[in-house]
Amino acid sequence: MKQRTLWSAIPVAGLVVLAGCGSAADPDAASGGSKGKLVVWDWKSGDAAASTYVKKAKADFAEQHPGVTVEFVAQPFEQYYTLLGAAIQAGKGPDVMLFNGGGQIRDRADSLLPLDEYVRDDKKRLAGWEAFTKDSKTYAAPVTLQGHPIYYNKSLYRKAGLDPEQPATSWDEFVANCRTINEATGARCFAQGNKEGIGIQFFLSGLGSGVLSPTEYDDWIAGERDWSSPAVKRVFSLWKEADAKGLNNDGANSTAMFNDAFAVFQSNKAAHVIGLMSDIGHWKDFAEFLGPDDVGVMKSPIVTAGARPSLPYDGGIGYAVAKRTKDPEAAADLVRSLTSADALKSFHADAGAIAADRTVDVSSAGPAVATIVSEIDRGKPALHVALPSRTVDLMGRLSQQLLSGSVTVDAAVEQLAASDQAG
Amino acid sequence: MLRLWPLGLGVNFSFTGDGEHNGATVGLGNYAELIDDPLFRTALGNVGLLVLLLPVAVAIPGLLATFIYLRVPGHQVFRSVYFFPAVLSPVIVGAIFNLLLAFDGPLNAVLGGSGLGPVDWLGDPDVAMFTVVGVHIWATSGMALVVFLAGFSTLDPALLDAARVDGASLARTIWHVIIPGLSRTIQFVVVTTMIGMLTSMFGLLYVMTSGGPEGSTYLPEYYIWVQQGQMSRPALASAASTLLFLIMLVVGLLQVGLLRRAGRED
Repeated sequence: MKQRTLWSAIPVAGLVVLAGCGSAADPDAASGGSKGKLVVWDWKSGDAAASTYVKKAKADFAEQHPGVTVEFVAQPFEQYYTLLGAAIQAGKGPDVMLFNGGGQIRDRADSLLPLDEYVRDDKKRLAGWEAFTKDSKTYAAPVTLQGHPIYYNKSLYRKAGLDPEQPATSWDEFVANCRTINEATGARCFAQGNKEGIGIQFFLSGLGSGVLSPTEYDDWIAGERDWSSPAVKRVFSLWKEADAKGLNNDGANSTAMFNDAFAVFQSNKAAHVIGLMSDIGHWKDFAEFLGPDDVGVMKSPIVTAGARPSLPYDGGIGYAVAKRTKDPEAAADLVRSLTSADALKSFHADAGAIAADRTVDVSSAGPAVATIVSEIDRGKPALHVALPSRTVDLMGRLSQQLLSGSVTVDAAVEQLAASDQAG
Repeated sequence: MLRLWPLGLGVNFSFTGDGEHNGATVGLGNYAELIDDPLFRTALGNVGLLVLLLPVAVAIPGLLATFIYLRVPGHQVFRSVYFFPAVLSPVIVGAIFNLLLAFDGPLNAVLGGSGLGPVDWLGDPDVAMFTVVGVHIWATSGMALVVFLAGFSTLDPALLDAARVDGASLARTIWHVIIPGLSRTIQFVVVTTMIGMLTSMFGLLYVMTSGGPEGSTYLPEYYIWVQQGQMSRPALASAASTLLFLIMLVVGLLQVGLLRRAGRED
């Protein structure tokens, strides 16, 4: 018996001795590729729509580095950050990797190579850098732009006797138009999907520029967020009010944004949806169902006086380089090839995304794209992208509580402020 | 060594920090953060809820097996029908029930037609966890049913005949004859069902609710996945993993105790 106890105690003692030594993420481990080979992880290169883009980027890179092999490993998006996080922690991560702009890349900035010295020449040609920046250092180069335009269904406007070319510019007018549309067609105002807590992100960024003053908006993006300000609280009370007034489709907290909420909009059951600019839930998807000429894009209606509505957008996806890559220069050059004008032109043409390159011609993509692109120079970064990912996650849950009435607006913003300050 | 080393690493990581504290010893800091985190407390609370719902999860296949054993009309068909969901992946089951239980889905259409009104099966925090557990039971009860049927094959038919001759009702037959006769089978099903509920609901949760609404359907393993993969907090995830391991250890030891006691009674 004593001997058995002794044998049991050995592993326990080992654990105690080990406890607190080392780390979950190995800071000294090298990344996956070897000299002469670069490994790229993304969730795009497996798509048929991105094959020409990848081919062009590879060809561009091969011209500069004929001796370096590039291997693309396409991962499923749902598991991408889980796999990437584990790989980085194990020191087996790729040399070059794709990121969404915002919290995901900022959370992992410690493992990434600052690219500023390598991408200096691309700064003006490409847009959307802010989403890949932390503490004034750039960690990825943008491939697409991602934003949250308010799309509307011109056909429903027409059926309700409204002028589809003159959407509302104030919140009161917007709500009145929604009532008219609902009475005439039965359609709700917003297609809203908040099952995963994504609805609030789109709502905050889509309507935020119509609520916050320009100064408050800029301060928010700069990290100086005053969660107790009346305008910030107004965004969350507006979120609650919109649902309480029946502006959303029923069951928003059990409707997935992808793709159920978008399906509600596409099937004429709602007149507006705060969608995306690239990849999915964008003008191209909607045009297939509603017709390109019936997809309208509007700025946020003005909710509080003094607000100056603008298009909320950031860098959508961008390629970054692992800090521990064996050949940082070659890896950075590969990122530059992946964001070259020629490659991005193909990405826009084949995938329908709005490329981060200002020089790509989008004139043949339809009226909705023309409206979006015309606003890019006046646009500002999206509000939710500036938040740490844990605050975004908390905001998703609180937004559900706001809809069900189990938390007040004051309590919600208090919790968000605490999470934001904790970083 | 191969089994203990990863376990040791996980415990070790749980005492270190994340992000800028990466690698630094933080003592019990991660555990303190877990206890302070209302989301983790909800996840632990849901483990308790699963334990409370365990009798239901065992009674349903038990009753169905009883009906099949007592040869209700169509019992041969029911045997296959009840088992069929056991071969489906949780992802498929989740997707099917997402459609059926959508707010504007067919079940609510029927409820609305009968005047009972729609229920937000997956969007109401008071209902969602019960919905997911209900679907889990639907999907997994087939296996427990097969075990019960195997147990019935060991039941002495003379006892049932005697109950019938004495004019016992179905309820009394179940209570006084079937349950005592199947005590070891029931204990086995309790143990396996509990393990299944604590460790195999990730797929359903991921597909059906993503932990929502309001975090009401979080379980520790889902919390671990979110912290590790989405929040990039491996050390905190390791601490949650270690706590889950301890919970499973306690539950496992209780189960072993139960089985040993059952063995002694025989």
